Amino acid sequence: MIKNFRIEKHHAGIVAKATLFKCLRYLDKEVVETPFLLIDGEKLREKVSLIGRSIRNSTVFYAVKANPDREVIRFLHALGTGFEIASEGELELLLSIGVEPAKIISSNPVKSLKFLKLASTTGVNRFSFDSPDEVEKLAHHIPHCDVYVRLSVPNEGSEWPLSKKFGVELDEALALLCRARDRGLNPAGITFHVGSQCTNIYNWNIALEKAKTLWDMAEKSGIRLRLLNIGGGYPIAYTKSVVSIESIERNINALIYDKFPEDITVHLEPGRAVVGDAGIFVTTVIGKAKRSDENWLYIDVGVFNGLMESVGGIKYSYIVETSKQARHKKQWTVAGPSCDSFDVIDKNVTLHEPQVGDIVLILSSGAYTVSYASEFNGFSIPKTILI
Amino acid sequence: MIKFNEKAPYAPVEYLYDVEEILYKGRSRFQEIIVIRNPYYGRMLLLDDVVQITERDEFFYHEMMTHIVMHSHPEPKKVVVIGGGDGGVVREVLKHKTVEKVFFVEIDEEVINVSRKFFPTVSAGMDDARVEIKIMDGADFVLNRKQADIDAVIIDSTDIIGFARSLFTTDFFNNVKNCLTKDGMFVTHTESLHFHKDIVIEIQEVLKKVFPVVDLYTAPIATYPGNWWAFAVASKNLSPREVRRRYDISTKYYSDEIHRQAFMPIGMYEKLMQRKLEW
Ligand SMILES: Cc1ncc(COP(=O)(O)O)c(C=O)c1O
Repeated sequence: MIKNFRIEKHHAGIVAKATLFKCLRYLDKEVVETPFLLIDGEKLREKVSLIGRSIRNSTVFYAVKANPDREVIRFLHALGTGFEIASEGELELLLSIGVEPAKIISSNPVKSLKFLKLASTTGVNRFSFDSPDEVEKLAHHIPHCDVYVRLSVPNEGSEWPLSKKFGVELDEALALLCRARDRGLNPAGITFHVGSQCTNIYNWNIALEKAKTLWDMAEKSGIRLRLLNIGGGYPIAYTKSVVSIESIERNINALIYDKFPEDITVHLEPGRAVVGDAGIFVTTVIGKAKRSDENWLYIDVGVFNGLMESVGGIKYSYIVETSKQARHKKQWTVAGPSCDSFDVIDKNVTLHEPQVGDIVLILSSGAYTVSYASEFNGFSIPKTILI
Repeated sequence: MIKFNEKAPYAPVEYLYDVEEILYKGRSRFQEIIVIRNPYYGRMLLLDDVVQITERDEFFYHEMMTHIVMHSHPEPKKVVVIGGGDGGVVREVLKHKTVEKVFFVEIDEEVINVSRKFFPTVSAGMDDARVEIKIMDGADFVLNRKQADIDAVIIDSTDIIGFARSLFTTDFFNNVKNCLTKDGMFVTHTESLHFHKDIVIEIQEVLKKVFPVVDLYTAPIATYPGNWWAFAVASKNLSPREVRRRYDISTKYYSDEIHRQAFMPIGMYEKLMQRKLEW
């Protein structure tokens, strides 16, 4: 029997019809045991062909942390994408799939020793850094490797800021590039990250301006850079539409063209924009309650087993299964299955009333969901299924 | 004058129609049914706020939905029409003298009643003695049909991500195949090639897993967002591109000439399926 889902006009701006059609077809044919994450391969293909298209001399390295599912990685590898990694675990995963080390970079400014040892035996050769200690570590483990310094840039307007933890200011960045050169490393370039889910197009302007300043400073110190790694940060639509990747890239491309040498190499390392809107979480209502005048909806995915980013302010769109009779909408507090009071996904969500056992689809949930999940309280980590 | 603003969730455009009169407004078990009158299109049937047919141009859709399979089949006798509660496809099927039996399977009886009352020229064939009306889910009808004796199955449903989804599952396509004769033909509407090319491809791919012959033709439908409407057609062995019977019925848009040009050129079709058409 076909399940009846409430698909409304506002969902159309969030999830592609083809993705939703595939997802619903999957749910119609399978007896489903939730929770799990569906990823639409065709959407991945579309995003991969879109990202980087409007930036000259650019290469895309998918940020594996966004979703390290084996099948997803295999699929992206077959499409020819490169990969950005941070750890020995991610490296082992890529190697086991047969990804060539030449397609791998690491932009984690502080790398574990275990990771460096494994990287040195496999030939991964491009790393970011932002501290003197990292220069020492790299010089010791991977002499002569290419390094790019992480510049601190404003993260205002991105929903998931990253700048506080990493990045240095201009003078220090220059000193680090010189130090890297003196220790026998190859100071190749500059990186920054404007913050994840960055909806402020001007963050890239400021960042590129700053990178240009450093580029010239390095030149004066006798270091000719050639690599500009512009990180990730491209946004996806969660509850409202966002500025398009084409517009962001056209802006970036014009700025790079204007400021940097013709033969520059540009690296992109998007995570969220590659897998985020290809993913739909399939969850089930496990309970409902009215507490004072608040309606609570409990589903089998929560903050601990998949929706961690909700704590940082990411709000999702939901499509609920309901009977045709349910005409009226209510305001809900949506919560996960664990006993922790921290496990609240969202408040004031307007939805038709589902019954216990009904399915709730959570849109744009392909990135930073399952990769963050834990088994807290005995709730298992949802599987990722590529369709 | 009041206006009707069509709210098809997935259309990147919205249409605004002048409404001279609201002739009917009701809710069935399945959907909201409205009939309005527009100065250009005449009477219009809306299901859940989406335009299904208009008096003025319904023949484009109904003729193209019906006559391609009816002319590529050498001798269609038994036909199943699923959906199309307005009766337009049934009317077109009955134009073929070879037809002995039409199973008209509609899930929502209210649509039939509304069409009888407000669209007499569209619903005209419903009372023909060859027509057997079945009020049920078309998916159950093909599931329960045990003989392979149907010459053509025609699906005229509402949106593929709504409750008509039961008519787009792999199980359904398999069941359709099982009730078709060896020359049997199947046709279903898919989507706009302008707006939802990816879904058109997806349905072609799903059908190819079930049927040996799968193809695609299109027709221009003014009131469906994206206009350039694709129909997926499948069979056990005959190519639907070929006209196997003399064209001797009266139609406004379809003809044997249109039949041949409605299909995509082979090279373009291959490009489409390889996802090399970029728009
Ligand atoms: C160094 C680095 N590169 C790339 C990314 C991917 O960013 P996004 O998912 O916003 O594209 C991140 C995200 O945390 C990151 O830290």
